[in-house]
Order: sequence, then C-alpha cells, then structure tokens
Amino acid sequence: MAAVRPPAPAGGGTAGALRASIAPGGGPDGLEPVVRGPDVAAGEAWRRLDPDRAVLEVAGERHQVLLPAASAEQRRRAAREIVVDGWRFEVVVEPAARAALRERATRARADGGHDGPTEVRAIIPGVVVSIAVAAGDEVSAGQQLLAVEAMKMQNELRAPRAGRIERVAVGAGRTIEVGDLLVVIA
Amino acid sequence: MLVANRGEIALRIIRACDELGIETVAVYSDADRDAIHVRAADVAVRIGPPPAAESYLRIDAIVDAARSTGAEAVHPGYGFLAERAAFASAVTEAGIVFVGPSAAAIDALGDKLHARRLAQSVGVDAVPGTLQPAPVDRPDAVAGIVAEARRIGFPLLVKAAAGGGGRGMRRVVAESELPAALASGSHEAAAAFGDGAVYLEREIVPARHVEVQLLGDSTGRVVALGERDCSLQRRHQKLIEEAPAPGLSRADRAHVHDLAVRVASAAGLTNAATAEFLLAPDGRFYFLEVNTRLQVEHGVTELVSGVDIVREQLCIAAGRPLSAVAIAAADRAAMPATHAIEVRLSAEDPGLDFAPTPGRITRWVMPSGPGVRVDTAIETGSRVPPDYDNLIAKVMVHAADRDLAIDRLRRALDEVEVAGVQTTLPFDRFAVRHAGFRAARLSTGWVGEEWDGPAHRAAAGRVALVAAATAALDGPGFGPADAPSPSDGAEVSGGTARGPMALDGQWHRLGLEAGVDRWPR
Repeated sequence: MAAVRPPAPAGGGTAGALRASIAPGGGPDGLEPVVRGPDVAAGEAWRRLDPDRAVLEVAGERHQVLLPAASAEQRRRAAREIVVDGWRFEVVVEPAARAALRERATRARADGGHDGPTEVRAIIPGVVVSIAVAAGDEVSAGQQLLAVEAMKMQNELRAPRAGRIERVAVGAGRTIEVGDLLVVIA
Repeated sequence: MLVANRGEIALRIIRACDELGIETVAVYSDADRDAIHVRAADVAVRIGPPPAAESYLRIDAIVDAARSTGAEAVHPGYGFLAERAAFASAVTEAGIVFVGPSAAAIDALGDKLHARRLAQSVGVDAVPGTLQPAPVDRPDAVAGIVAEARRIGFPLLVKAAAGGGGRGMRRVVAESELPAALASGSHEAAAAFGDGAVYLEREIVPARHVEVQLLGDSTGRVVALGERDCSLQRRHQKLIEEAPAPGLSRADRAHVHDLAVRVASAAGLTNAATAEFLLAPDGRFYFLEVNTRLQVEHGVTELVSGVDIVREQLCIAAGRPLSAVAIAAADRAAMPATHAIEVRLSAEDPGLDFAPTPGRITRWVMPSGPGVRVDTAIETGSRVPPDYDNLIAKVMVHAADRDLAIDRLRRALDEVEVAGVQTTLPFDRFAVRHAGFRAARLSTGWVGEEWDGPAHRAAAGRVALVAAATAALDGPGFGPADAPSPSDGAEVSGGTARGPMALDGQWHRLGLEAGVDRWPR
C-alpha cells in the first residue's frame, strides 16, 4: 500500500491541514495519525459517491468507504464512525495545528518528571526555519529551542525542562513530520 | 403454527407457513418486542425477559403460548430447544404436533456415544475412538483409558457425549495430559449440558467437514438431498458453507449419502436432520454425529436441490409422504448441476478473535441481483441484543458452477453496507478473494492458518484514517465534529470551497485549493 502519510507540502503550506486519528477505543492501538494537507498523496484517488459513501483508491486497490452520520453520543466525544471494507472505526478529525498544540502541551507535562534524556519530537509538520541552540548548551525550561514554520505561522518550540542539549537532530530548512526527533535534552 | 425461535430462522419458517396458507404465532422476549419476526407473524406472544433461559428456553412458557393461541404445531427452528427431547415430548403430550424428529430419535442421536454405536451397528465407521464413556471418576481405571488412548493415537480429542459447539472438548497431545483433560472436559460438559460423560476420538487433520441433508417421512423412507462442505470454521462454529462439497466424485457423493441414510434409518429418523462426517486426507468419510433439526446452512442445499426444506418439514409433520420434488431431487443428489455458497454475517469482530459486538445497526444494505438470496431479520435501526446468537444475516449465492458462485459472492459482498456494529464482513470478503478458497483447499484449520485478523484490521485502519481526513477536506458532512456545517448557516470561508477536480469525468483527484481552510478555530 502506498505511503499513507503524504509528503509534507513544499513551502510549508499546511494551511487547512487536518489530522485524523483513531478515537479512544475506536480501533487498533498504535496507528499513526494521518495528516492531510490540501495536496493529495500520489497514487491515491478519491471519489465521493454521495454524502455518506465514497471510494478511495490506494495503490491500485479500491476501498469501499461508508461515512455514516454521527450519533449524538459520537458528537459529544467529537468522534466519527467510518467503515472501510467492512471494518468499522471511530476516528477524530481535527485541524492538525490544534492537535499538535494539544499534544505539545501533553508531552511537556508528561516529560516533566523524567530523569533520563528527553527526546523533543515534532508535534506539527512543517519546515525548520531556525535553530537557537547547539549541542552542549545548557537550557532552562521554557527556553526557545527552534522555530518551525507551519500553517504559515512560525511556531516556537520551547524546552520542556532544564538540562544540557545532548543532540540537535535537524538543521534549518529541513522538512519535518509529526513525531520526527528534533532535540535531545540530557 | 407456533414458531419457537427468533431472528432470521423464525422469519424463514413464517414465510414457508405463509406460502402454505398456515397462520403463524411468534413468541418473543422483551429484547425482541420490535423484532421483524414478531411483526411478520399473525399473532405474537411475549414469553419473558431477554435472557434466553427466561424466554426462548422456557418449555412451559412456549407450550402455554401454543395452547392459549390454539396452535396445532410447533416449529423449533435451530438452537434454543430444537434438540431437546424434553421439549419435543412436552409439545407432543400437549396434543400439539412437533415439527422435527421424534423425541426418541432426538434422544438417541443427541447422545454422541449412542450415535457412534448406532453407526457402528450398521457398518458406518465413526471417527476412531471409544464407544463408552471414559471412567473419569475411577482412578483404578486410568490404566485402561490410557491404553485406549495409545491405541487411538495422539493427538486426540476428549469430547462430550452430550456436546455441541466445542464445549467439553479438549485436545490432548501427550499421554501425560490425558487425566487432566478428561477431568476438565467432563467438568465443563457437566456444567454446560448437565451430563459429564466424555469419550476419546482421534484428531483427524487436515480434515474437511462434510454433512448430508436428510429428509424422512412417516412411512420410514429416508432420503439424502445432497451434501454440504462446512470446513471453514473457527472454534467449531461454521463461517462459510457450500453445496455440493467441492472435488468429490459422483461415487464419493453417492457413498457418503448412503452412509448418512443408513445411520438415519437405523435411528428411525423422520422429518429433517443432518448427518455430519469428517473427510480425512485419505478420502475416507468418518461419521461424527446427527443433528436432529433444521441447520443454519440448509439454504445452500435448497438452492442446489430445488427443494424447500422447511415446506417439506411442514408437510411431513402433517403426515404427508415426501413430495415428488424431494424424491426427484434425492435421485439426482449425487449429480449436482449447480453450486451454492453461504456466508454467515455475524455481529462479531474478526479483528478481535470474533468477539461479539452487540449494538444498534445504523445502516443496513443487503445485496440483491441475480442468484443472490439473503435470509435476515435485521433492518436499519435494529438492535443486536447481547443475549442471543450473533448471526444477523446469511448471504447465499447460486450459480452454474463453483467459480461462478465465488465471483457472484464477491460481487454480492461488495454490495453489503453495514454501520453501527462490527460484523464478520471483512473475513468473508477476505475468504472469497483467497486463492486457496477458490482452489477448494479447505480444512477445519483454514481460518486459524490463513486469517490474521489484527493485521487486516490495522491495514484497514490506516486506509480509514486517510479516508477520514480526505472526506473532511472534501466536505461537507465529515468535518471536525465541532465545525458548523454549511447548513448551520456558517459561512464557508472565502466562499471558495471547491469540489474535487475531475480527472476523467468519473474519478476525482482530491485537490483542494491551498488556503481553503473552512475550519474555524
């Protein structure tokens, strides 16, 4: 099957990008969320038959897609049902930028209590526009590490905790995906 | 006619009665108050709360319902009370006709050990094993049973005499495991059936499951309408059945039909029943058991033989001899001219070891068109209660030969649309596309060897995420849940939301204009 995640659009054009993830309990664990920008991945074709039916072709294979209306209960959980080739899932579709911000906050909290090295990963796709630290630097919590352009906005990535920069894994100009390793703080 | 069942089989029986001009009485539990079978019958009687033990398994309540409505006959369907001799007796003693074999025949054939001895007595080989209950509670007899086990050979199966559905069954690979398997199998059988008798049987692998549809009338005539292959099972529950069994010669068919008729005749069987056999790799048939009832998968035999089996049951119960149609079908049963396949659509998750998935069906589109038959009692909005069997539809196809039937089944399954609950549809779609299935390389271990449910589910999940994001960008109607839809009066930003660009007039490539961001934040 073709790459599910599309290549990051050139020029950081992720305006309007949406992120789809499996809702809690709505499918298998451990599936990477999919971020879709305005551009579509190669090797895919999409045909909307009517509001609640579609065909998605991926790598030459056609998949039957049902998009049933959300129940009141699903709306409360911001979840949608989707059925692909008879497999039923509940998904959450949201603006990629909002999901990224939420995860950044969650990750910063979760990493607060760790003793070992902290891996700072990309929580939004985009392009690294500048890097403010280098290996060996001492940083304090909240200090700016690097800036990523996404959604036509500069997003500053700040250190989740104080420490010494063990490694900077990306360079300026590099296109990054959600989850890519950026910086390791020892 | 009172129909002592629910779901698709209750509807199947009501339809046969309707065609014969017979009035029907449905019974229902509180879980089925709005069920289709209740509406389809002329009269409906509530028999209790949802749990089967307090409703569909209550012999007294069902006999009372028959009496109070003036029913002259009771059809048990399959499952529930269908193979309880006590139920057949209670109905008969109330002066009501029981549509099925006699209580004596149900009793005799329901005990698998008795059935094995009966088969032996008419020269039909049962699966090699023991013919008497294992002395589970006599430590002094351990040496004897171990010697028997050695003679049968390992691996072997411990099976319950009163068994069904794999309960009380244990697989034993080595001699040292035998005592524990006998004890736990017997314990489970006692809990499930009230009878802890167990016996030993050789495990035949790879084996095919071949069964013969039988009809018998009160004149003592028993005929075979043909055989079915039900090898695709998991945990001894059938998933796909077909008729005829692929790859058998005319002589093979005639032989297994004859074995089945011999056992059934010896048991004095009337009405409808099915004799089950294992087909070993060496081509030999070994008798397993007789089911003294209508089977779930009777429809494939109906399609190939042209006989309405439920109609025959009703006529036989009314004292009539086998119809000319049935006799003619039996005469050509070894030379089937067409092929039929059935898949069972169940409310189960094939990605989670077929765990039950009760719930409300929010979308229900079943296939139609040439050669397609669907037996179901589900409609959009139906609830699949957690209290009963998970079967929600039987999708059957009929075609001139097996290859055409598989093509037709693939097409029919592609037409199915179900939302609200997970069903076994992904497994069915997989099987019908599988080269091994098309080549009829079938065995009772096939599902375990070929089906990796979690992997298929994860692959579909990845496609689902792409589809969900694409659908939301493609909108309207599938955006972030908190986004107002255009019908809410919200302005679509810039008014430039464009549909997908046409590639070839039919297929579209998603290509939304950059900067079209309709999601407020």
